[in-house]
Amino acid sequence: MKTNILGVYDDEHDIMHAVDKLKEEGIEVKDVFSPFPLHGIWDKLKQTTNLPYATFIYGLIGGIGSFALLYWTSVINYPLKFGGKPLNTLSFIIIMFVLTILIGTVLTALTFFIRQKLYPGKESTLPDPRTVDDKFVIVVEKTDSMDDNEVSRIKDLLSGTGAVEVNESDIDYE
Amino acid sequence: MYNTRVRGILIKGNKTYGQVTRDVLRPMNAPAPKWWYITAFLAIAAMIWGVWGFYNTISTGIGTWGLNNNVAWGWAIINFVWWIGIGHAGTAFSIFLLILRQKWRTSINRAAEAMTIFAVMAAGLFPLIHMGRIWDGFFIFPYWNTRGPLWDNFNSPLFWDVVAISTYFTASFVFWYIGMIPDFATIRETAASKIKKKIYGIMSFGWIGNAKSWLRFETAALLLGGLAAPLVVSVHSIVSMDFSVSVIPGWHTTIFPPYFVIGAIFSGFGMVLTLMIVLRKLYKFNDYVTDGHLDAIARILTFISLIMGSAYLIELFTAWYSGNEYELFTFLKNRVTGEYTFAYWSMLICNAVIPQFFWFKKIRKNITLVFIISIFINIGMWFERYVIVVTSLSRDFLPATWATYEPTWTELAVFTGTIGLFVLGVIAFFRWIPTIAISEVKSVLKETTTLKSFTDED
Repeated sequence: MKTNILGVYDDEHDIMHAVDKLKEEGIEVKDVFSPFPLHGIWDKLKQTTNLPYATFIYGLIGGIGSFALLYWTSVINYPLKFGGKPLNTLSFIIIMFVLTILIGTVLTALTFFIRQKLYPGKESTLPDPRTVDDKFVIVVEKTDSMDDNEVSRIKDLLSGTGAVEVNESDIDYE
Repeated sequence: MYNTRVRGILIKGNKTYGQVTRDVLRPMNAPAPKWWYITAFLAIAAMIWGVWGFYNTISTGIGTWGLNNNVAWGWAIINFVWWIGIGHAGTAFSIFLLILRQKWRTSINRAAEAMTIFAVMAAGLFPLIHMGRIWDGFFIFPYWNTRGPLWDNFNSPLFWDVVAISTYFTASFVFWYIGMIPDFATIRETAASKIKKKIYGIMSFGWIGNAKSWLRFETAALLLGGLAAPLVVSVHSIVSMDFSVSVIPGWHTTIFPPYFVIGAIFSGFGMVLTLMIVLRKLYKFNDYVTDGHLDAIARILTFISLIMGSAYLIELFTAWYSGNEYELFTFLKNRVTGEYTFAYWSMLICNAVIPQFFWFKKIRKNITLVFIISIFINIGMWFERYVIVVTSLSRDFLPATWATYEPTWTELAVFTGTIGLFVLGVIAFFRWIPTIAISEVKSVLKETTTLKSFTDED
């Protein structure tokens, strides 16, 4: 059972128009593969990410956490005067600044890997391996409710919008 | 919007996407050329000598260096600051230019970031062995210990350095690696050999490149870039505070943080220029790293060189205007006309005068001259750190304590060893990692390869 219809394109502009066209015709685009980020495709596919909010929270945790460490070690746990300067000093800001960046960076990267399910050694199969080289692919899911007419209508639409190949694939990618 | 009419063509040769992949991966698929083996041999030889220097330092002690009670900081700190400065270009390049959305960065940022990684690794070795008892090195981290617990002095610039450098290395590495994941996936899918497929498959983390993964990738890159951008300023400011919070004449000045940051970006861009000229010559990447790219770097260097020149003049002016006789002595006597004249004027001429030749288009177009000038910048920036460290320490307040400083063979060995490490890292990068960010070049390819007229719609 082939589960996906793939429209293979050569050009980034063609595929953008094709996605619009498919949406106009009421066909749901499941995914788009490309060798580089296509800006604007995310609006069309209604995809968003909350990564910036996560980063903000990580930065906040990093900033407050590093101040807590500095305050606790220098003022509460082992108060030791250096050169007559106050225990709780403004120069803490330097370490807080740097540690905020460190914690923000590491946790943002980890979140990216976890949300995207990327890890070393993960085996993945692409519906069309050429998409990491020079091809752009639209994936339309072939559901049980589709009859042959519907499938051929989708295929015609794909070729009509400039697809150089229209294939079917049963690769279940993640 | 990039207007080729104004800015020139970015990637030459009207490439297709497939050609970009093949062009960048070609040197990786071909057998390693002769120059690669020769350079690797020399780099490893240098590293072996460096290991001797390390062994000498650690087994006998810091006494094997030319330091004395007065000049307690010598080549170790000079070379540390020099390497960190060189390391700044990667971040400055990819991150500032990413945030400013400069498209010409795409052919260069990967190599500049690789340079950052290896330069920071080389730099980090100096404080590590300068500790003397390297096996107690973990004392610098704040951890629960049985000495009190006695914590670090969080107000010491030396501790700030530890935090800043380790953060800088981590952030640069994470940014660099995430940027490479899509390119590793490209190698995974296009490689002919099974072993290569397997290795790059592991390194690609199973990247597939669908819309959602690109969305997260782009967002993560921008966020990590935004987080790391302040590091460009903060790391070298903190390094400068190692000097400026002391009361030594010539160090105790407020100009130090901006002066060091600018110096770091200057030396980093100088090294990027050196490296890109070599890379493009060896791999025939003239279509990707065009004369226009080198021209852009040269222009930036001209501008930064002017800032460097004014910083040098302001230092002299402040020394005179302060009316402090020790400052006056250090700057006007010791540095400008005294015993360290050679180092001072080498610094001034290499950094503030020679790059000004880039004002002439003829010189910017002559790649050999550009290469020579970039080497002068690297040397000049080394002299700058030498001038700062040695002239101030060797002639301080009491003539009775004056001392001279000469590096020993051990110090020379350690420095040569770090150069070997850097070179080995860079050529390993040339061999096994796509030297140009394939997916990024592709993303700017269409709009920048053909000449548009002003009337064309953007």
